[in-house]
Amino acid sequence: MKISKEEFLSLSGMGHEMLDAWIEEEWLIPGGSSPELSFSEIDIARARLIRDLQVDFGVNDEGVGVILNLVDQLYGMRRTLMELRHAVRTTPSG
Amino acid sequence: MKDPYESLGVAPTASADDIQKAYRKLAKKLHPDLNPGNAEAEEKFKEIAGAYGLVGDAEKRKGFDSGEIDAAGAERPRQNYYRDYATSEQDHPYTDNSGFADFMDSEDAFAELLRRSAQAQANRRGHDLAYRLPIEFIESIAGANKRLTLPEGGTLDIAIPPGITEGQVLRLRGKGAPGSGKGGFGDAFIEVEIKPDRSFTRQGDDIYLELPITLTEAVLGARIKVPTPTGAVTMAVPKGSNTGRTLRLRGKGAPMHAGGYGDQLVKLKVVLPKELDPELEAFVSNWQGGKTHNPR
Repeated sequence: MKISKEEFLSLSGMGHEMLDAWIEEEWLIPGGSSPELSFSEIDIARARLIRDLQVDFGVNDEGVGVILNLVDQLYGMRRTLMELRHAVRTTPSG
Repeated sequence: MKDPYESLGVAPTASADDIQKAYRKLAKKLHPDLNPGNAEAEEKFKEIAGAYGLVGDAEKRKGFDSGEIDAAGAERPRQNYYRDYATSEQDHPYTDNSGFADFMDSEDAFAELLRRSAQAQANRRGHDLAYRLPIEFIESIAGANKRLTLPEGGTLDIAIPPGITEGQVLRLRGKGAPGSGKGGFGDAFIEVEIKPDRSFTRQGDDIYLELPITLTEAVLGARIKVPTPTGAVTMAVPKGSNTGRTLRLRGKGAPMHAGGYGDQLVKLKVVLPKELDPELEAFVSNWQGGKTHNPR
């Protein structure tokens, strides 16, 4: 599902400036090119995670960057693990 | 639901500051997005998030302490977490494989597997997309060119082949979602839905039509025009045709897989004029044959 910038702002409850700053930091990587940015559901879920980190956990901006970098590596590894599992399962043994 | 103070592990007399501290300490350990492989963490996180939503807010805490709000109302609705999307097969720009890039550099079989997997991720084919397309009955027999407006924007031109049946799925290669790298596009699958027609129905390759005719045509026979999905044709109604008589128009049905066409079956229905004609009435009342004939 494609979500426009305006829809994204209303769904996430964020302000323009904050969103622009997050994109600048590459915390969010929308598709398309400015001003016709397009977002998807994963971006909304990621924005919610960042809000949780900032508001609920009290993590500052530097901390958010560090955490996201590790989170992305963690999920990259999980995806690869899942593919390996799939490859192992579908390889005939012997 | 558990007592929110108990969930957070604080005393009911704890200060707002202590409650926040206790929540943060637990949430850091239990946030589902930071614990993607731990199903239990999600349940516990929901519990403490609900508890904090209640007693972490001064107003609501007052309401809870005085018994006006109970703990059951504090449960958060299930939301989709980032982890639900990040590990799905769907491509997204946040995947980072640098966490094991060094493993891929060696020469063993495991490194080979990792390299292949990374390659597959980088060149993943786009997803298939599914749509429904309602068409008219006549279009299903004669074929048609349709344009589908996609919910995500854009259009898709679809050539409906003649003789398509309800629920048949058309595949448009390369019209699905874009892939990554050299992965190419997925396919679009169009499920065809045929709207019911007022006159025609279909059984197998044959088309059925009920056709009203006049009393004169029924008694004396006639050559009449009959609609078919591919245009009107002339048909001979034999002398003395009754209601229910079915006439076959060869080759005017649906196109068949093996080539050729089914038939159109025309069921006649004799219809009297809406207003009774005095001349007809006079004739029938004097008609001796009508009085001895009993069809029951």
